[in-house]
Amino acid sequence: MAEDISNVIDLQDIRVTFKNSGKDLKAVDDVNLKIKKGDIYGIIGYSGAGKSTLVRVINLLQQPSEGKVIVNGQDLRELKPVKLREARQKIGMIFQHFNLMKSRTVLGNVEYPLLGKKISKQERQEKALTLLKRVGLEEYANTYPQRLSGGQKQRVAIARALATEPEVLISDEATSALDPKTTKAILELLKKLNDELGLTIVLITHEMQVIKSICHNVAVMDEGRIIERGTVAKVFTDPQEKLTTDFVETSTNVKAAIDRITATINVEDLPDNQELVYFNFIGNATKQSILSELSQTYHVAENILFANIDQIDGENVGYMIAIIEGELVPFNKALEDLRPHGVKTQILSGVPVKGDEA
Amino acid sequence: MLQKLIPNVLQMKGEFVQATWETLYMTFGSAIIAAVLGLLLGVCLVITQPGGILEDGLTYSVLDKITNLLRSIPFIILLAVISPLTQFLIGTTVGTTASLVPLIVGIFPFYARQVQNALLDVDHGVIEAAQSMGSSPTEIIFRVYLREGLADILRVSIVTVISLIGLTTMAGAIGSGGLGDVAISIGYARFENDVTFVAMIIILILVFAVQIIGDLIVKAVEHNE
Repeated sequence: MAEDISNVIDLQDIRVTFKNSGKDLKAVDDVNLKIKKGDIYGIIGYSGAGKSTLVRVINLLQQPSEGKVIVNGQDLRELKPVKLREARQKIGMIFQHFNLMKSRTVLGNVEYPLLGKKISKQERQEKALTLLKRVGLEEYANTYPQRLSGGQKQRVAIARALATEPEVLISDEATSALDPKTTKAILELLKKLNDELGLTIVLITHEMQVIKSICHNVAVMDEGRIIERGTVAKVFTDPQEKLTTDFVETSTNVKAAIDRITATINVEDLPDNQELVYFNFIGNATKQSILSELSQTYHVAENILFANIDQIDGENVGYMIAIIEGELVPFNKALEDLRPHGVKTQILSGVPVKGDEA
Repeated sequence: MLQKLIPNVLQMKGEFVQATWETLYMTFGSAIIAAVLGLLLGVCLVITQPGGILEDGLTYSVLDKITNLLRSIPFIILLAVISPLTQFLIGTTVGTTASLVPLIVGIFPFYARQVQNALLDVDHGVIEAAQSMGSSPTEIIFRVYLREGLADILRVSIVTVISLIGLTTMAGAIGSGGLGDVAISIGYARFENDVTFVAMIIILILVFAVQIIGDLIVKAVEHNE
């Protein structure tokens, strides 16, 4: 039972089927998802993968055709409307297009979820103002949302979502309409809220960059199913599915680099004692001078063509493409010896080059 | 000068003042009740329609059909057809007050449709956001739909009041009085063209006044947004 309590969200065997001109469309197809309290859980997929439908099941904005929805220990589908509305107040939500009310001021928007509460107008306004301070917009309290930039609107939406002191915050493509710099600022704000309030965040996105920046765990969705899931570091460094690999490589630029290099260097023209190799380092491997060790111990020379280091959920992940020169036997031994250090290698020359294999 | 241009009008100033009041009484008297009925029906249409917050296919389809049916009856016929209801409600079928019943029945379905369209323009995302914050259907109607849609509702209200002024002129057929009645049963029937003309001018002034005042109110509401 202890484990059940730590899962603030527990979706069991969820199916959502839409009837579309007589045909059944499975938007969500048998999904099980457990999310722990305090986690930042990312769901990634292309549009139409069903991720938006899936997160709407969490607060029952979307009624599933089948399955159990347990949030904060309550089976939401069993609740009466009044109780469901109470439960929804503990599940905040922010949206791609902010969904602020244009007829209310910024303060009025943040006050909105508190209108039904039995508190005085003054208390309500004070609380809303405190929330605006938290997102750094207190000086805009009396402005109308139309005058704000996209990033500011999303901050207002976040303040509004926090007004009912939710346990969970659902972010439905909340940064997709924002430029990269603003995206980063909003993500930092979400991370801060996660740290300070212990807020569990479920975010959906089609950008791996977003997942990489703040998520601890990730699920990859395709055609209504979760095809791969795990910690972000693991999914990033060891993706199993083709789609996952696509997402990872788009965000690390490795695929683009491989394409560029193989376009300029004809790998078949390389001398016999040279190979084009792709290295993938995880964790501490990035901190050790493996390459210099290699050249000293095995007398192989490296010519680095591409290198990059990423921080993923606090772990360093490095990527490198290099031409390695040396005798065949020590060369193979060298690559072999790298493996225990958390370095994965792939020879791009000789074997048919496929960018999607890491 | 005026004596030459509008001789008959000058002789019946009193009737014109009276008729203008009757027109205003019919317009705004029916407008107030039609507004309540129209808003109610318009809101019901929006919330029960497919994808609405209280989706109910049967209710929607019944309300939708009633609205269409009432809107399809030509007003001049409605005036006659509805007389038993008028008799029941007012106690007579003739006169200014009696004309309020057909005016209300004639205009409120039109207003309901306009309100429905105005409310449909309220961003669905905002409704969804309110639902996600645990708002009840009543709260969503009053705090989101009617508030976010206020400027548009005012806009369609202006259009409706102007249509209503038009309808009041036909109510002369059941002895309602008003400017329409003056124009037809005095001006037209007695070949006193100046009477007809001046009645039209006063109606136009009323229409413009409603439009201008309405626009100012809409502007004041939107100014904040």
